[in-house]
Amino acid sequence: MKKNETLRTPSTPSRFKVGDRVQVRDMPNMFYTRTQNYVRGVTGTIAACTYKDLIPEDEAFNYDGRLEQYYIIRFRQKDLWEEYPFDNDTLQTEFPDRWLDPLETGQNRKK
Amino acid sequence: MADKHSHAGDDHDHKAAPMVEEITDYEVLEIAVRELAIEHGLFTTEDHRKFTEWAESIGPAAGSRLVAKAWTDPAFKARLLKDGTEACKEVGVDWAEPTGVGTPSDYTNFRILEDTPTLHHVIVCTLCSCYPRPLLGMSPEWYRSTNYRRRLVRWPREVLAEFGLILPPEVEIRIEDSNQKCRFMVLPVRPQGTEKWTEQQLAAIVTRDCMIGVALPRPGRTADVHPVHEARRPVHSASEHGKAAE
Repeated sequence: MKKNETLRTPSTPSRFKVGDRVQVRDMPNMFYTRTQNYVRGVTGTIAACTYKDLIPEDEAFNYDGRLEQYYIIRFRQKDLWEEYPFDNDTLQTEFPDRWLDPLETGQNRKK
Repeated sequence: MADKHSHAGDDHDHKAAPMVEEITDYEVLEIAVRELAIEHGLFTTEDHRKFTEWAESIGPAAGSRLVAKAWTDPAFKARLLKDGTEACKEVGVDWAEPTGVGTPSDYTNFRILEDTPTLHHVIVCTLCSCYPRPLLGMSPEWYRSTNYRRRLVRWPREVLAEFGLILPPEVEIRIEDSNQKCRFMVLPVRPQGTEKWTEQQLAAIVTRDCMIGVALPRPGRTADVHPVHEARRPVHSASEHGKAAE
């Protein structure tokens, strides 16, 4: 916690708020990622703005790099898995800002 | 397993049972890093022993207390939903410094997932084994298995059914895949028939599985016992068949 305090300055502004529709980007993995394959290209809704912290791609190599806002995204199970049989079921997971595109400009659709 | 070896006067050639179980690459890595850290004076063997003993001794009791308190104290529940990390201090868990000698969690963003009669949460970490350790202790073996991790996100209802939890389709199941720095725990719905119970009585039915979301609390259920499904057509060896026929 305290260790990170000095890192809290160079942060990029957060682009999204709760309720925004976003699409998870499908970027190449440079050695390390915490963005699961099963959510890439899928559209969801911002369920919570959590905290600002280092992005995993920097932190994994102990590089005191970029700080970004993290968000919890809610997906419909039906959007994640085409043939999922239950309409109501959902899944939530979390990403820093750079892994998300606003829905209208999403360029990384899987299909 | 039945003991098949009769050792009276037996000198037949069979492999001795292994004295040491095989360890994984990650365990080897942990030992290597630990020994380096000790060599370089980052901590002592005594520190490591104390910490390991402590980490293995913490169970889900703090989580159970947290849920029982939230069920009986609406003001506390409101604080818990607003700031989980801060509210944990009221049940004696400080995520930043839970032990005084270190932290069993790398992260300090704790969020409680409140169930309702129409919404059921269940937690998983598809990437590794993220778990709210300051509240629940070490995660069960199955929670870290690839079987649970890869199947829960894809077939949640089937996986829950294997734990004996079958929910109607009108109840929304919400899987929380804790892939980053938030840690989650489920706040189940207080079951009927517990209206006049004390916090202590309530805590006894809030088992680890209820807070992971693979079971529901109910009066009388005070332990996580998983159903054992007998194989319907078990394959026996010829000799065992022979024995069974005798």
